[in-house]
Amino acid sequence: MPRVEDARLLTGRGTYVDDVLVPGVLHACFVRSPFARAAVRGVEVGEAQAVPGVRAVLTAADLNPGVREQWHTSIGPQGPETARPPLAEGEVRFVGDPVALVVAESRHLAEDAADLVDVDYEPLPAVIDYTTAEQADALVHEAHGSNLIGTIAIPASDRLTETFASAAHVASETIRQQGYAAVPMEARGIVVVPDPATGDLTIYAATQAPHEWRLFCSRLLGIPEHRIRVVMRDTGGGFGQKVLVQREDMCIMLAAPHLGVPVKWVEDRRENLMAAGKSREEQADVRMAFDEDGTILAADIDFVSDCGAYPTPWPVMTAAAVGALFPGPYRVPAATFATRSVYTNTVGRTAYRGPWQFETLAREVLLDIAARDMGIDPVDLRRRNLLRHDELPFRNPNGMAYDNVSPLETLEQAVEMLGYEAFRAQQAAARVEGRYLGVGVSTYVEPSTPGYGAYATEAATIRIEPSGKVNVYIAGGSTGNSIETTVVQLTADALGVPIEDVATIQGDTAVTGFGAGAAGSRSGSMTAGAVRDTAAILRERIRAIVAHKLEAAAEDVELADGRASVRGTPSAGLTLAEVAGLAYFDPYGLPPGVPAGLEASARYTAEARSIWVNATHLCTCEVDVATGAVRLLRYIVSEDCGPMINPNVVEGQIAGGAVQGIGGVLYEHLAYDDAGNPVTTTFMDYLLPTATEVPVIEYGHIETPSPGPGGYKGVGEGGAIGAPPAVVNAVADALSPFGVRITSLPLSPFEVVALLDPSVREPA
Amino acid sequence: MDEIVVEVRVNGAPRRAQVEPRLTLADFLRERCRLTGTHLGCEHGVCGACTVLLDGAAVRSCLVLAVQAQGREVTTVEGLATDGGLTDVQQAFRDCHGLQCGFCTPGFVVTVTAMLADDPAPDDTAVREALSGNLCRCTGYQGILAAVRSVVDERAKEAS
Amino acid sequence: MKAAPFAYDAPTTPEEAVGVLAEHGDAAKVLAGGQSLLPMLALRLAVFDRLVDVGRIGALQGIERRGDALWIGAGTTDAAVERSAEVASAAPLVARATPLIGHLQIRNRGTLGGSIAHADPAAEYPAVALALDASMDVLGPGGRRTVAAADFFTGLWSTVVEPDELLVGVSFPVWSGRCGFAVEEFARRHGDFAIAGAVVAVELGGDDGVRRCAVGLIGMGSTPLRAPTAEKAATGAAVGGVDADEIGRLAAADAVGVPSDLHGTAGYRRRVCAAVVTRAWTKAVEEARRG
Repeated sequence: MPRVEDARLLTGRGTYVDDVLVPGVLHACFVRSPFARAAVRGVEVGEAQAVPGVRAVLTAADLNPGVREQWHTSIGPQGPETARPPLAEGEVRFVGDPVALVVAESRHLAEDAADLVDVDYEPLPAVIDYTTAEQADALVHEAHGSNLIGTIAIPASDRLTETFASAAHVASETIRQQGYAAVPMEARGIVVVPDPATGDLTIYAATQAPHEWRLFCSRLLGIPEHRIRVVMRDTGGGFGQKVLVQREDMCIMLAAPHLGVPVKWVEDRRENLMAAGKSREEQADVRMAFDEDGTILAADIDFVSDCGAYPTPWPVMTAAAVGALFPGPYRVPAATFATRSVYTNTVGRTAYRGPWQFETLAREVLLDIAARDMGIDPVDLRRRNLLRHDELPFRNPNGMAYDNVSPLETLEQAVEMLGYEAFRAQQAAARVEGRYLGVGVSTYVEPSTPGYGAYATEAATIRIEPSGKVNVYIAGGSTGNSIETTVVQLTADALGVPIEDVATIQGDTAVTGFGAGAAGSRSGSMTAGAVRDTAAILRERIRAIVAHKLEAAAEDVELADGRASVRGTPSAGLTLAEVAGLAYFDPYGLPPGVPAGLEASARYTAEARSIWVNATHLCTCEVDVATGAVRLLRYIVSEDCGPMINPNVVEGQIAGGAVQGIGGVLYEHLAYDDAGNPVTTTFMDYLLPTATEVPVIEYGHIETPSPGPGGYKGVGEGGAIGAPPAVVNAVADALSPFGVRITSLPLSPFEVVALLDPSVREPA
Repeated sequence: MDEIVVEVRVNGAPRRAQVEPRLTLADFLRERCRLTGTHLGCEHGVCGACTVLLDGAAVRSCLVLAVQAQGREVTTVEGLATDGGLTDVQQAFRDCHGLQCGFCTPGFVVTVTAMLADDPAPDDTAVREALSGNLCRCTGYQGILAAVRSVVDERAKEAS
Repeated sequence: MKAAPFAYDAPTTPEEAVGVLAEHGDAAKVLAGGQSLLPMLALRLAVFDRLVDVGRIGALQGIERRGDALWIGAGTTDAAVERSAEVASAAPLVARATPLIGHLQIRNRGTLGGSIAHADPAAEYPAVALALDASMDVLGPGGRRTVAAADFFTGLWSTVVEPDELLVGVSFPVWSGRCGFAVEEFARRHGDFAIAGAVVAVELGGDDGVRRCAVGLIGMGSTPLRAPTAEKAATGAAVGGVDADEIGRLAAADAVGVPSDLHGTAGYRRRVCAAVVTRAWTKAVEEARRG
């Protein structure tokens, strides 16, 4: 079915936050630190304020005292959060740290004035290298007392130590992933509209979680929650960067009521690459022990993550997920992990599509290295160790209980789709000609649909209107995940009405019940549950009304094509419009006990803490050894996200995530120099894959139902988890005649050549 | 700096405004014409989200000054479908799931429209190269490439 | 990312443009296609009081054969060059370099003169102009002058064109006889600036001797470069005896001031340069042999 979002988006009639028109709105621009770390001795705003059209130039002294409470619902008020001043106060901690806020009649004027703000910085020694941050003299946050944010570890047992010591083969590497970021095509943005008469606030935002933003703002400003309305219409991508309120958003929430005028901030691309947050910058010492047949005996990861100066909370938990999931979908009997999250004077870490995905990168790369060292084909090594569907449920050695997944089955499907043996023959023939082809595989398991805290429920309201047309209201937060279409489809199916008769309203806190937003690959399953439970109420009511009217049994009434008919007597039935007419306009004629109207709400609660999803990614490539260029040939994903609500949507999510993963290996790098200056702050330097770099993606689907509603599982994040190691392994396989080991990303053409000829690293 | 009067035809309608020279065509369209379908993804000429037709040629409207459009014709995404429906290019994007968040979509649709006017029968390489100046972060380009292929095939069928 | 304010002129003749430039000196800047200048202004990496838009000057437009040379007006867009049958036949190297420039949206606005005056060593047209020994027509307050390509590029993003001068057109000598031309580039992605690139022109005699050849290098220095040692090794030799790999190696060694940056060290660039020169040489020779 065509998406309901498409007609407006294709004709340029979407409403993204910068499209929102508010009379009298003023425009914001931040003054940002050019230093990685410096004391702020003073901020001179006079010259900037004098620019005609400038309304105000605000500093920490103006805005920060307005903060009442600052915490995210998922963490709670007592969480071990990094203190986050809206504007930098006394010290700047990364290049791009917001120091002052200019509010003016246009963004042009605001930028002109921002250039005139004179900040007296006294540069301080900065902590840039996260691998040595704990030993550094300088402290990113003095009050914290150390550069270690937190550590979660399971100490190795004596048995584990013995297993590694006596194993037939131990693979041991340090795997390093570079920093890269979500980079949605629409950067961040927010409009805050205060009503000076009532103190109410209306907020338009590019957000994945409108209700969470309302709650956060209510606590921040001390305004009762019900006096704040957050509206999110169209948002141009998020991928995790737009889930939580960040410091700039706080500044605008504070500034607008402070000035008594609507204030709009639309982030530009340079700001987005410099200050919206980074992800993936991390490394680990990883080990796996094998017996002589290649059976995995134990796994161990010692992981450290660069969280920048202001990570959004709480990075220590994400690091722990890396540790806990490292054994992956394999029959690993014993494991341990240690994780550390550290501060540096760089931009803070934010969530990005599968934030813990390093565990898959490290494990799958290590497995291929181990396979080559042991003389076992990498696919065979996986065959010997991957969990089969009939071994589930399986509790991994770190306590993660996998169920309803099909790891081995997806590997076999992917390998068959490629024609693995034929490819190996092709590879051998190419090598004779001096051409280097390779194949790489990665298999992962992923917890989707978190069933705890605010994420554990999702509500829907369905109104069948007097004319029989249907409106379904859900919390929303879609930044491209097609949830409008999904919900319309689910509702139409549940009520037996044509899709054209259903519309949805989402993303407006004044109109929809609390929802935690689009995060954690939860939207499919959770909205399915909410719609199912809500529709069930209405179906029962419709049946009762029709049964009463037609003197039939309620259980014989069926809903299809907008009609409620009696089974066996198709001519005996009522259109939904007729039923609605009775429900709304003839309440005294309704059966006893049946309420008037056809409106209902229900809140679904997730039954499980996680819904496990899995996939195998398989990639072939050719490497040009003269230039280091990597060309991807075939790209195959065999995924098991359970039954699919909409296969196009599923494949679209996989494709988007996979290309982000490909970008992360071959093109993208959020880089800093040794002084902490970001060097990739435009699209000239931060390279995203384009249509000429991407392979055609082929899909295989396996549908193992989850215990959740419809059996659906989450599919939003998997592509970004499975893709990077498939690409790395393909390149390593292509270059295996040269004996190279790839353990560090990115794999730019230069890095590929440097693996073959380390002398190119020398300065001329 | 002195403002300049600029007269441009936008989607067939004459527009007249007084603008600073530094105002880009993109900002002119969004702010002065209230045509917000043209999007700003980077403002430095790489992402293509701001693509419009200037005298029929696809250009990055963030790299054209409004004053440079004096006396010219601009077509934005809003002006592609003249009868309130969808053009065949737009329909193909819809049929092939060529968009998710929709932010890059107007730029792609305009680029594809121009590209096929120039070269009605591009092969796969030519299509990819023609699209290489438009960035998408959601779709991985799969649905977009399928959409273009489908338009090319449909138009070829109709022509024969 | 909005540019700082500037004043704007749109002259209709080259003389008028030069008049404005002469009046304002360094504070004024020529605006041609704007595809390099406007991003710099948006990022506020450069600031000018005044832009002089030469896009309305008819005299800067045109592609015409003038004797042994093909004259292309500085204001001619890349797209017009790409479509021109005249360029394809009279200056194939120019035609073949053009599709590699950025993306179609860039080529619809960017101009040949703009690219040459901007003198980015990683751009295509400066290397082609240097390889073909083109000559640049420059207009200043004192009148017109012609500058040979070999004298035109003086350093990173700099040429002999003074702040009060305007590049008006470029003449590309036409090669005739048994010629072959090739452009090979290596970039991170399609349309990106080349990490290293090569433009090669070769003319063979009836005996398959190399009568003359030109090897231009993209992205291998602070200006576009020629590869004189490589050219010398091939010129006069029997083309079948010229080792393409050796030409590549010599050309890479000819480069001076090879950059090192996020995309790779100088050593890496030399390696890539050798590979692209070899590929371009091989292609150009194949074409020449068929002629």
